[in-house]
Amino acid sequence: MDRKMSVMIVDDEAIVRESLFYWFKKDGHVVETASSGFEALEKLEKYPFQLLFVDIKMPGMDGIELLEKVKTEYTDTIVIIITAYGSIESAVKAMRIGATDYLLKPFKPDQLSLVMERISVQKRLVSQYNYLKGHLEKITRFDNIIGQSPEMEKVFSLIPEVAQSDASILLAGETGTGKELVAKAIHAESPRSHLPFIAINCGAMPESLLESELFGHQKGVFTGATRARKGFLEVVSGGTLFLDEIGEISPKMQINLLRVLEEKKITSIGSREPVTVDFRLISATRRDLNKEVAEGTFREDFFYRINVIMIEIPPLRKRKEDIPLLAEHFLKKYCQETTKYVDHVTRDAMELLRHYDWPGNVRELENAIERAVVLSKSRTLSVDDLSFIRPPDKPFSKTLSLREMEKAYIQQILEENSWNVTQSAKILEINRVTLHKMMKRYHLERPEG
Amino acid sequence: MTSKKKSVSVVPLGDVPEVDLQVIADHIIGCFKLTTQILPPMDPPEYALDERRLQYNAAIIIEMFESIHFSDHDKVIAVLNQDLFIPIFTHVFGEARQGGKCGLVSLYRLAKNPDGSTPPKSTIHERAAKVALHELGHLLDLLHCEHKKCLMHFSGGIDEVDEMSLDLCEYCSIYLQDKLR
Repeated sequence: MDRKMSVMIVDDEAIVRESLFYWFKKDGHVVETASSGFEALEKLEKYPFQLLFVDIKMPGMDGIELLEKVKTEYTDTIVIIITAYGSIESAVKAMRIGATDYLLKPFKPDQLSLVMERISVQKRLVSQYNYLKGHLEKITRFDNIIGQSPEMEKVFSLIPEVAQSDASILLAGETGTGKELVAKAIHAESPRSHLPFIAINCGAMPESLLESELFGHQKGVFTGATRARKGFLEVVSGGTLFLDEIGEISPKMQINLLRVLEEKKITSIGSREPVTVDFRLISATRRDLNKEVAEGTFREDFFYRINVIMIEIPPLRKRKEDIPLLAEHFLKKYCQETTKYVDHVTRDAMELLRHYDWPGNVRELENAIERAVVLSKSRTLSVDDLSFIRPPDKPFSKTLSLREMEKAYIQQILEENSWNVTQSAKILEINRVTLHKMMKRYHLERPEG
Repeated sequence: MTSKKKSVSVVPLGDVPEVDLQVIADHIIGCFKLTTQILPPMDPPEYALDERRLQYNAAIIIEMFESIHFSDHDKVIAVLNQDLFIPIFTHVFGEARQGGKCGLVSLYRLAKNPDGSTPPKSTIHERAAKVALHELGHLLDLLHCEHKKCLMHFSGGIDEVDEMSLDLCEYCSIYLQDKLR
């Protein structure tokens, strides 16, 4: 394991900074110095130093104040306090706030190497912990399904319940809401979890190919069929088959699948010998199949076969309280993948994320965070990094009354200005007191969070 | 094109036994295969004496030496009998900056064992050679090494100086050869 670290020495005495700088250089670390707490915070904003050596007595911002700020903003950063003025109280205070160690200047050379050895061990343990935690998260049941909103809590409570039965499940939800993740979670919770999970996007392939993929084919039945191939309905053998975009399949395919579900037998293309199959079906759709059944464009008997249990996955705009949690999750994910160190989303940027409607749902949010992380030049994601997100204009309905119109317009201006009353009042060309009165009249309140 | 072979001068600061200088020079020749010359003594570095600590500030001596032009010598190892320190540490056995020109070796603490007893002369000579080679390693851009036996392992105490060998580990050897090419 690489024991080299990025170190910053924060001390107002140049001679101390210099001594430690050269020592760490010789030890092979990336070293930077700062002569004050303010300079240290500026440098931390730009580069994720892993280890800080901080003098306790400094003019302006002292070491304890800097330690407090670092431990609030950059929790992973290790801080060692150094001082020439040793006192039990300051040492205890520093350790309570979160300093990893405390050195009294001048210290014996082997004390510093001991501290570095301990930090190296701690770094290794944290790295092992993160690896195992990540590994554990990957194999646990609700992998990557994030949310604490009541809507998602309902989905979470349904997953273990429905997983135990073999009934067909229909997952309904807009594109990008995470239907496949829910399907995987149900499979992982089910008695079939040790058997295959196969996902097929029915909307992504033409009917003939989908038929061949599902039912398999014999050698030579069509051009390119140079050898016999088992279909996924057979390959899944005992596991779970996830058919995404089930609403896209043709009436003919609906009949074929209905037969399979009823008889539990398939006949591959070009064969006369039926094969018994065993699988649990989970389907998903973003279309309103109830409506399509009513209109006669989707087979009713097939619909009731696949829709024994329906789980509705809410769109992101209906569970906006989950956005910060999801944003933080994707931020961590893409920092690991891109090896960039972006660990913050500013309050304004988070507000922007919360107020956008996310027509592409969680997938769109994930893509936005990935794009912002890749393009970000600092360790904090700001509104500028998310400038590609354009909240859609909200056209007013023609049926609104003047009162409703006024309320909606004030709300829009407040949202666009992050609920800054002074700024909004300026745009509305009224004074702040009037705006406050109108907000009270229309029950307009800044959303919490 | 062949690069000119690096040369090292060993300079006593004040009164330093001839035998210690010779041991250091011989080890530089033997271990690093570099041309080495012992220069006439220079004055003890009184300018670097810290009255409060009664020790000599290694950083000040190094800065002074960096400003001196030693013709024909690429690197300088200055040897002294005074107790050295750098501001954060209680003491150092030697000091050099990464890729710098001048390194220091203090014999002051090498003549005592951790338990206060006096070691044989041969041990003191070996310690002096190790500290000199370690500091020269830094001047030649070598970093501290994790291998406890390697000459470039950081020694905080005299017992660690005794524990490390006079040789570089496999990796540091390759790195040194690369630097000397």
